Amino acid sequence: MSEPVMRRTQSGDAKQLRTSAFRFHSPLANVLSLCSVLSVLSFVAPLSVQAATDASATVYSIPSAKAADALLLDIDNAGKRLVAVGDRGHILYSDDEGKTWTQAKVPSRMMLTAVAFGDDKHGWAVGHDALILATTDGGTTWTQQFSDQEREEGAPFLDVWFKDDSTGFAVGAYGALFATTDGGKTWDDASDRLDNPDGYHLNAITEVKGSGLFVVGEMGSMFRSTDGGETWETLQGPYEGSLFGVLGTNEPGTVLAYGLRGNLFRSTDFGTTWTPIKVKSPRGKLDFGLSGGALLKDGSVVIVGHGGSVLKSTDNGLTFSLINRPDRLSLSSVAADDKGDLVLVGQGGVHVTSPTGEDASPKQ
Amino acid sequence: MSNHHQDKGSFLERLIFNNRPTVILICLLVSIFLFYQALQVRPSTSFEKMIPLQHPFIQKMLEHRNDLANLGNTVRISVEAKDGDIFSKEYMETLRQVNDEVFYIPGVDRSGLKSLWSPSVRWTEVTEEGFAGGEVIPQTYDGSPDSLDELRNNVLKSGQIGRLVANNFKSSIVDVPLLESYPDPQDQGTLLKLDYRQFSHELEEKIRDKYEAQNPNVEIHIVGFAKKVGDLIDGLVMVVAFFAIAFLITLVLLMWFTRCLRSTVAVLFTTLVAVIWQLGLMHTVGFGLDPYSMLVPFLIFAIGISHGVQKINGIALQSSEADNSLTAARLTFRQLFLPGAIAILADAVGFITLLIIDIGVIRELAIGASIGVGVIVFTNLILLPVAISYVGISKKAIERSKKDAVREHPFWRLLSNFAHPVVAPISVVIALAAFGGGLWYGHGLKIGDLDQGAPELRPDSRYNQDNAFIINNYSTSSDVLVVMVKSKAEGCSIYETMQPIDELMWTMSNTEGVQSAISLVTVSKQMIKGMNEGNLKWETLSRNKDVLNNSIARADGLFNNDCSLAPVLVFLNDHKAETLDRAVNAVKAFAKDHDTENLQFLLAAGNAGIEAATNEVIKETELTILILVYICVATMCMITFRSVAATLCIVLPLILTSVLGNALMTFLGIGVKVATLPVIALGVGIGVDYGIYIYSRLESFLRAGMPLQEAYYQTLKSTGKAVLFTGLCLAIGVCTWIFSAIKFQADMGLMLTFMLLWNMFGALWLLPALARFLIKPEKLAGKKGGSLLAH
Repeated sequence: MSEPVMRRTQSGDAKQLRTSAFRFHSPLANVLSLCSVLSVLSFVAPLSVQAATDASATVYSIPSAKAADALLLDIDNAGKRLVAVGDRGHILYSDDEGKTWTQAKVPSRMMLTAVAFGDDKHGWAVGHDALILATTDGGTTWTQQFSDQEREEGAPFLDVWFKDDSTGFAVGAYGALFATTDGGKTWDDASDRLDNPDGYHLNAITEVKGSGLFVVGEMGSMFRSTDGGETWETLQGPYEGSLFGVLGTNEPGTVLAYGLRGNLFRSTDFGTTWTPIKVKSPRGKLDFGLSGGALLKDGSVVIVGHGGSVLKSTDNGLTFSLINRPDRLSLSSVAADDKGDLVLVGQGGVHVTSPTGEDASPKQ
Repeated sequence: MSNHHQDKGSFLERLIFNNRPTVILICLLVSIFLFYQALQVRPSTSFEKMIPLQHPFIQKMLEHRNDLANLGNTVRISVEAKDGDIFSKEYMETLRQVNDEVFYIPGVDRSGLKSLWSPSVRWTEVTEEGFAGGEVIPQTYDGSPDSLDELRNNVLKSGQIGRLVANNFKSSIVDVPLLESYPDPQDQGTLLKLDYRQFSHELEEKIRDKYEAQNPNVEIHIVGFAKKVGDLIDGLVMVVAFFAIAFLITLVLLMWFTRCLRSTVAVLFTTLVAVIWQLGLMHTVGFGLDPYSMLVPFLIFAIGISHGVQKINGIALQSSEADNSLTAARLTFRQLFLPGAIAILADAVGFITLLIIDIGVIRELAIGASIGVGVIVFTNLILLPVAISYVGISKKAIERSKKDAVREHPFWRLLSNFAHPVVAPISVVIALAAFGGGLWYGHGLKIGDLDQGAPELRPDSRYNQDNAFIINNYSTSSDVLVVMVKSKAEGCSIYETMQPIDELMWTMSNTEGVQSAISLVTVSKQMIKGMNEGNLKWETLSRNKDVLNNSIARADGLFNNDCSLAPVLVFLNDHKAETLDRAVNAVKAFAKDHDTENLQFLLAAGNAGIEAATNEVIKETELTILILVYICVATMCMITFRSVAATLCIVLPLILTSVLGNALMTFLGIGVKVATLPVIALGVGIGVDYGIYIYSRLESFLRAGMPLQEAYYQTLKSTGKAVLFTGLCLAIGVCTWIFSAIKFQADMGLMLTFMLLWNMFGALWLLPALARFLIKPEKLAGKKGGSLLAH
């Protein structure tokens, strides 16, 4: 049985935005609120707005011992280092294959949704409020490059991809496509390069070996570019539901796209034609949504999703093995360390596992 | 001093003994009236009386009580599969029967009843078309392996793991919301008030006993406020049995002490009259019998017996010289009324100091106990001698008392060495060492309740075992601190409110001792994720007000009607004082940084909030009470004996007892709390009796010119037995409490037993040693002295 559809609401008319006045840290206001002299406080209110604009630049994520166990959304390799991003402006890095994690100093408390490194040192993290952060030291320190609270009321970027230390793209909600060619010093709104009249969310962007760039999004939308993102072709996808991720494999032209309810498709011609890939679960067809994935150094492909699903393919995506981790926590992304062990992120933070996604040894 | 004649008595004595039938008649009439009143006394467990109403936390909580009501009074029944997991036909069948049985128990809010079998428990899934969902147990369920498989899948998709289903899939919960009052099944028009005790019994009989017998593979665990209160009231009823036990032991001891059935019955009877009067008066002034004030009848009984024994002892001594029982009674009255009355006054003053504690149950205890000891003046100091003047004391008892007066007592002779010039310094050194050691060790004394689980019940009680089971297997905690977030009307769902709430929750989650926190933001984030096809990248607050408004639609109970108050539930590891302090301070610091005109973070509700407030009150008053009670007692002694030395002799042993008592509490892991705070005052107030009795005798022998050790021997010979017996009586009266099912009653019983026995020991051992240093017998000898008790 089905319940009424509750689709996301596009912001539409509710666009007028107030300057947020709640996050002030002015000592004067503190003292006054302590005195709880309400009449005096109302007099101070105009002051606090100014405090907010001053303070918003200097609000750092809270250092927390629980950050490695809280919601994390993406992970990438920066050379030998692993860097993970997540809720509340958390960015964590590990130099010992996931055993211990250090929290980076991050000038934001917004949720970060994706991270990508152009080389060992240069990396970008994106998130809500159209936030783009950058690092030039492999993830230890971060600076803000871009943010726009006004754009669709703080709608998020959902993925980021960089070719090298200068050229890259960020994609996000309501059809956002932002481009840079100077390592993020300037970011251009390139959304109109895509034919996306309904403003579908763009959920993921990737490079497909020997072919070009590929973007997938809401309602099965698909776009590809063969000229490094200058022009984009809209594709008729194999599926009506949302696609959350896209991956190129080691085989030129071969793409994997995946999304809601275990739907997984494979194309060997850079997205022109698609074949559904059936993943068998012990209880029939795989039913969990698939969120993120990675092409590992050894050429195998790993895709993770809800219900603790970890899918792995060693034949460029023709067939997949599946395990559902016993904790059933939803997973968002995956990376591998040098030994080939998987480092999963999602609900419950970081999970360091064996190459198949099962727990090899207890965490820490 | 015993050669007075009848006609020389005071006005009071003449008034009483010349109108004996009138005295008896008045007492009889008063007893009948108060007995009738006492019958109306009911156990009461009023919530408000157990909390410090004036504390700002509690004031804020009561101010917003109606807004928080939705947080609910529920009982949770966890059905555990001992072998295998919950996905078996037999288990699901038992769960269904439990679910149906609970449905029909009166007081259950049937519409809110929730278990895997409820149609309202659904799984949802995001599909291409939107949300899909269904009942976790579908209509087609038939117990076959296939349908159990489907059930397992649905449970995984339902989000109930850690809530209705245990993290390890070995148990599941029937969530039972309760109605405080419900329609009478016989007459739908009238409302019945939920009887927690009866409800708790029905759960035991109809659920636990029945289904554990029916399916040996299940074990049933029940937790919830109603169950806890039910168990508490059961514990209270057990206390009545303790009273009977204390009564019987006292009877035996009295027989052994007096060797006279008549006087034994007279003492017990007059003391029971005192208890009845006290209970009757309690009801007359409008107090019920709560778990704390239940101690009062025990205390009154014990104090009454001890004064009765002094009287009987005196009358037996006088009888050997007086020609009839009336004269003996009059002479004893003349001799003992004043010291008795002073001792009782000291008790009452000690109790009255408890009034400064701003907690209803302690105030009622203070008033009840003061009334009670006041009553003893009438029953045991007046009615008892009058009664004895009629019935007399058996010849055998008088004979024995005559013999005792002249024969040598090796035991008392031995004890009199405490006043010896060589022994006394050693005693004082030992006492000083004990004082220093006690002070050092007692420094680790903690405030508040220290054990896991419900502090009212024992850690190994069935309830607390069940509680531990739930905590270990589900994502929940029984110690909840509620922060009330107050905004403008309709302001609870705006981003400017929700974002700081989110930040508070994360700040709290990062505070040591905090497990997690939930609020409407928790629900909102889940809903926003759901509206975005379950994508984790959207599991955060939106700046869009319509999205936020929609997202809290299902956050029942996490905001109030006009959306101006949203509770943040902070789950703590335990309710130790330092855990509470850390959490409370974290909230205070956060509020200081984030409170604005339109948004305030208010402390506190939830059981942990109440405990934090109670701890603060106790911490503030603990020292005050101690100082006050000692000032009162010392003043009493000064007025009575007109001597600093005498006051020191009596009060110093009490101080040693207080210090050692603190050390004992530290050793036993008992914290200073609502239950143990009164013990300090009660212990000192009652403990001073021994000193007063002993010192008044000692002084009179010293005045007669005896050297200290001999005077002490004579004191022991005449009153030592009564003092020893008094200590035993008091200790027996309260020590039965150690076996109470209610933890704080057991703590009170243990501490009082220790304080009363040790005070007696202190008076017998340390008082003469101190007298050796502080009192100059040659100065007292032959002097008439200004003491109130001088004869």
